[in-house]
Amino acid sequence: MNTAANPSNRRPRRHGHLRWWRHGLAACVFGLVAGTAKPEATADGFALPQPGHTFEFPRDHGAHPEFKLEWWYVTGHLYDESKQRFGFQATFFRQTSPDRTTELHLAHMALLDVAAGRFLHQERLNRDGWDAFAQRATLDVRNGPWSLRLVDEPREVMELSGGVRSDARLRLTLTPRKPLVVFGEKGVSRKGDDPTAASYYLTFSRLQVTGELTLGAEAPRRVSGEAWMDHEISSSQLSANQVGWDWVSIQLRDEPRELMLYRLRRTDGSEDPASTLQWVSPESHPQRSPHVWEVLSTWKSPATGAVYPARIRLTTKDPQTGVDRMFIIEPLRSDQELTGDLAGIAYWEGACRVLDANQREIGSAYMELTGYARALKL
Amino acid sequence: MAPHRQSDADPGASSTVLLLLSRISLRHARIAPRQTALLVVLLALGVAVFVSIRLANKAAVAGFSRFTETLTGQSDYTVLSPAGPLDASVLPEMRAALGDRPVHLIPVIEASASRPAEPGESERFGRPAYTLLGVDLISVANLARPQDRGYFEGRMDSRGGSEPPRDDGPWSALQGKPRVWLSRDYATKLPEQIDLIVDERIVTVDVAGAIPESPDSPKAPPTLMVLDLAALQSLLNRGARVDRVEILIEAGAGADQVRAETRRILSDLGRDGGRWTVVEPETQRSTTETMTRAFRLNLTILSLIALLVGLYLIFQALDGAVVRRRTEIAILRSLGVTESMLRRAWLAESAVLGLLGGGLGLLLGWAGAQFAVEAVGRTVNALYHATSANHAPLSGEDIGLGLTLGLVASLIAGWVPARTAARTPPAQVMQRSAAASQGTFSRRTQLLAGLGLLGVGVLAAQLPAYPWPGGGRFPIAGYMAALAWILGAGLVWGHTLPLVSRLARRLGRRSFTALLSLSHLRRPSGRHRLAVAALLCAIAMTAGMAILVASFEHTVRGWVERSLQADLYLASAGAQSASAQNRISSAATAALSSHPAVERAMALVVFPIVLEGLPTSLNATDLSQLRVVRRMPWVVAPRSDAVFDRATNHDRVLISESFSERFRRQPGDSLTLPTPSGPKTVTVEGIFADYGNERGSVLADREHVRQWFRTEAVTNLSLFLKPGEDVARVRAELLRNYPGLTVFSNATLRTEILRIFRQTFGITYALEVIGVAVAVGGLGLTLISVLLDRRDELTTLRALGWSHREIARSTAFEGASLSLCAALGGLLLSLALGWLLIYVINKQSFGWTLGFIVPRGQLAGLALAIIATGTGVSYWAGRWGADLPADREE
Repeated sequence: MNTAANPSNRRPRRHGHLRWWRHGLAACVFGLVAGTAKPEATADGFALPQPGHTFEFPRDHGAHPEFKLEWWYVTGHLYDESKQRFGFQATFFRQTSPDRTTELHLAHMALLDVAAGRFLHQERLNRDGWDAFAQRATLDVRNGPWSLRLVDEPREVMELSGGVRSDARLRLTLTPRKPLVVFGEKGVSRKGDDPTAASYYLTFSRLQVTGELTLGAEAPRRVSGEAWMDHEISSSQLSANQVGWDWVSIQLRDEPRELMLYRLRRTDGSEDPASTLQWVSPESHPQRSPHVWEVLSTWKSPATGAVYPARIRLTTKDPQTGVDRMFIIEPLRSDQELTGDLAGIAYWEGACRVLDANQREIGSAYMELTGYARALKL
Repeated sequence: MAPHRQSDADPGASSTVLLLLSRISLRHARIAPRQTALLVVLLALGVAVFVSIRLANKAAVAGFSRFTETLTGQSDYTVLSPAGPLDASVLPEMRAALGDRPVHLIPVIEASASRPAEPGESERFGRPAYTLLGVDLISVANLARPQDRGYFEGRMDSRGGSEPPRDDGPWSALQGKPRVWLSRDYATKLPEQIDLIVDERIVTVDVAGAIPESPDSPKAPPTLMVLDLAALQSLLNRGARVDRVEILIEAGAGADQVRAETRRILSDLGRDGGRWTVVEPETQRSTTETMTRAFRLNLTILSLIALLVGLYLIFQALDGAVVRRRTEIAILRSLGVTESMLRRAWLAESAVLGLLGGGLGLLLGWAGAQFAVEAVGRTVNALYHATSANHAPLSGEDIGLGLTLGLVASLIAGWVPARTAARTPPAQVMQRSAAASQGTFSRRTQLLAGLGLLGVGVLAAQLPAYPWPGGGRFPIAGYMAALAWILGAGLVWGHTLPLVSRLARRLGRRSFTALLSLSHLRRPSGRHRLAVAALLCAIAMTAGMAILVASFEHTVRGWVERSLQADLYLASAGAQSASAQNRISSAATAALSSHPAVERAMALVVFPIVLEGLPTSLNATDLSQLRVVRRMPWVVAPRSDAVFDRATNHDRVLISESFSERFRRQPGDSLTLPTPSGPKTVTVEGIFADYGNERGSVLADREHVRQWFRTEAVTNLSLFLKPGEDVARVRAELLRNYPGLTVFSNATLRTEILRIFRQTFGITYALEVIGVAVAVGGLGLTLISVLLDRRDELTTLRALGWSHREIARSTAFEGASLSLCAALGGLLLSLALGWLLIYVINKQSFGWTLGFIVPRGQLAGLALAIIATGTGVSYWAGRWGADLPADREE
């Protein structure tokens, strides 16, 4: 069991890749009961995160269908025995229908093969049922052949199975190397000024990964590495004047600390004040810190025409030492764009290396950039 | 002057051939354009008939396989239950067994429905039947084709435009109310709602829009309707059952390995056919092809008759030309043209004729196919399965085949005349009409060859059928016997012409015109004999088929009378095809059975099953009631009453005659039937006649089958009314209360069965008529050619004062005699062919025992019609010939 209350934290929803998906959220926000300071439910009857909520695990690793939205988001870096490098992303979304009678499940998977210079990605959408579900009692989510399950309850070891079509298959065991982080004040991560715009936000910021990767018809190869996993539960988390957001997770190589940043971009091009950078201490305590985001270069997608930031200089203050730290975030490959074949909305989500001022690689990162192909009207 | 041989390799040879072709053959064509045209048209008809049947057959088979492909594209495998639907619980089991392998599992349910008959529309069987496909429309989006999101990305209108996307996206597919997507070809403007007959109910369903399509996927046939899986399940009250699972391996470099593993895993899980079978699309298509193979092959063979007759015609046209152009040939030979050049020039002429005929035949065949496809489609629909065939496109392969057929036919027919032409000694020049018309082979050789062929036919008729891989048998020896008899009789029968002329002489003794024409037949030319052979072939085949159809109809009529004894017959009006699975619900069955006017009700349930890899059906009824049915059409009656007693018949069944033939089972043998409750081993107790389908059926007691298949609904219901009840009144009442049912009275159903029966032979008759038309046309050509040979004689006759009319009458008499001779021979041969069709070919293909009935009136009518037409055509040829100047070259 894990209970936590942390400093206020704002993080944008990262899932809004589907028009209908977002639209559901918009309806939800605008249908709120006006003037309620701490509502317990949205106007259409969905639950809202409550401060001081006591999380019970493994139950709270499972699904919360009384909330409208929920996702399990795993990103990570892998190396095979010959030190060939790979990046992967696996996301499972769950959404309850407006009439709260059924659910839809959406999932994304991506694999970056650095040596081969290939980025593979795929989406799946299914109704709740035999081929897609998220169990309530524990972490057990499935979408077609893809699944994420808690297999060792006391150690919170998870198993991720999936791949990208018949080009790549992953079978990974994820073992937490640090305790779960619960972001947000009294367990509620606020997403905006609106009293309902909040979520429960649970993160494994460093997971040890071992497993098998099969590329095409090749023999399976042993892989190992590190991953990051978010589990977020909400019924609404929107801001009307945002066009998109940038999200980065950094795992430092030589110290047991991580950073997480999200920047909400507004229609006028400015950064929303709700944007935040958080350091995760060795004990898994989140610590907020100021940040400066500078785009050093961009990449234009030949598929969508969108121009994404490519190299980033991120400057922040180390809460442990009080000294400014500068990180260069450099994509391992520039074309890690999920072109939105199923849902029609493109975003960039990719594996990056982290360099210091001396161009020394000091960690790895995953970065998500949304709203560049088309402004997201949320 | 003996010609000297030149090498074939002479570089000038081919140019000489071309020169000969253009100078001689084309000149003849110019001089007699109508003859050349008629020959080309007759050859074209032969090719056309073959092509149109081929196209229609292809369309009928293609129409079947396209339903699912429209939705999901080509599957890698299909998981099918050997009997009844699959329980939805097998789906997670399959997913678990497949693990993380990238495989789409797409459960499908398929149902058929029709629309309620419009006021005044016929209630007959065979109204348009629609295929309802239920697929999870959300999961289909994962196939990631452009059209797959179309089900929830906005309502498409029938013109292909799209309204603004719906905000509720995929949720719309989950909405409670069933919605249906229709083919763009359903109507120019799609309706808002549509009425469909489901079981005995009429349901109104909202139309969601047009089935999304993309340029590279098969077009949705107009009879296809798509619903979300859950919506169709609730519409049909089916519960969580699916008819099949389509398996699609996701693309990628590892797909082949995944495909192989998937097949192995699913086959193991399905206990290699015990629970389900994993079939590849080719296998499935070949199963449907196997089902209709005998039917289609019979049509194809019939369609070759006209070509066979055409073959005779080309042969005799070219042979005639050789004889008539002998002067030219001799001159050419004298000028040093070699044998081989002459032979090639003649063959080239045949080839040109063949290509022209083939080309024209393709056009005619394609046009004919557009009509034939409907007839073939209707039959396939009535006898086998729902097909969406509505047009028959012409492929490059068909074009090649049509031209090759014309070319090969003309080259075969032209080979002997070409040889004759090449070898004609110049000395024969001056003897234009003397020994010329005796034909290429001696009479004795022809007679012996003919008798030999007849003997070969007798032997071939004794041989067994060739067993087809994948089920069914092909009576190839039977067909060979028919061909041998037709060719043999053609060779032999021409030699009876002198006999016919002697007989006819007695009749026409006083008429000069008659005597003159008969004098020609006393020493008939080879062409006379060929004309007789061609006509005989057409008549014999037509009359033989008439005998088969009459025997079949007589047998079916008797069977219908014995089988149909109830007063009213009820079925879902949704069932408009032989493969339809529409049912009457158990509630309606109970209500109908206890209707106050009903004394006794008898239900029949039909389940398609796959037994020993072949599709057949398991039917169930209350067997105890069969004991009270008088005159059950037994082939082998059960030896004891155990099969009629529910206490003892749980492992006893009756089988149909076709089943017995197809699966080689006799009373006492055992069978293992696949059922949703596992395999059941039963013993065959008796065999009954059933002309309903050739797949055969097993009849078991309904009570046991109800437990095996866990369903109460029935396929059809026979009601025996209480004495004194007014059938018409009860029927009207039932139709009012159950608008989704068809209710046939005993008399209407009998008529309906016979109507469908005749309908299925409609196309056969059309083929026969074309064959006969080609043969009669050929008779005209023969006489023209004979008259051309007799130019000197005609000049003499005119000099003697014969009028045009007298010459025409003489030719007409000659033609009449030829027709009479051919008709007699043809009828005689038709008895043999009828026997062959009924006892060998039909029995081996379909397994039905038929009585032998000769439709005397029909055959006499056919003979008379042919003699009359032959006489008419000959008269016309005579009128034309009467004007021939002596120096007319051709």
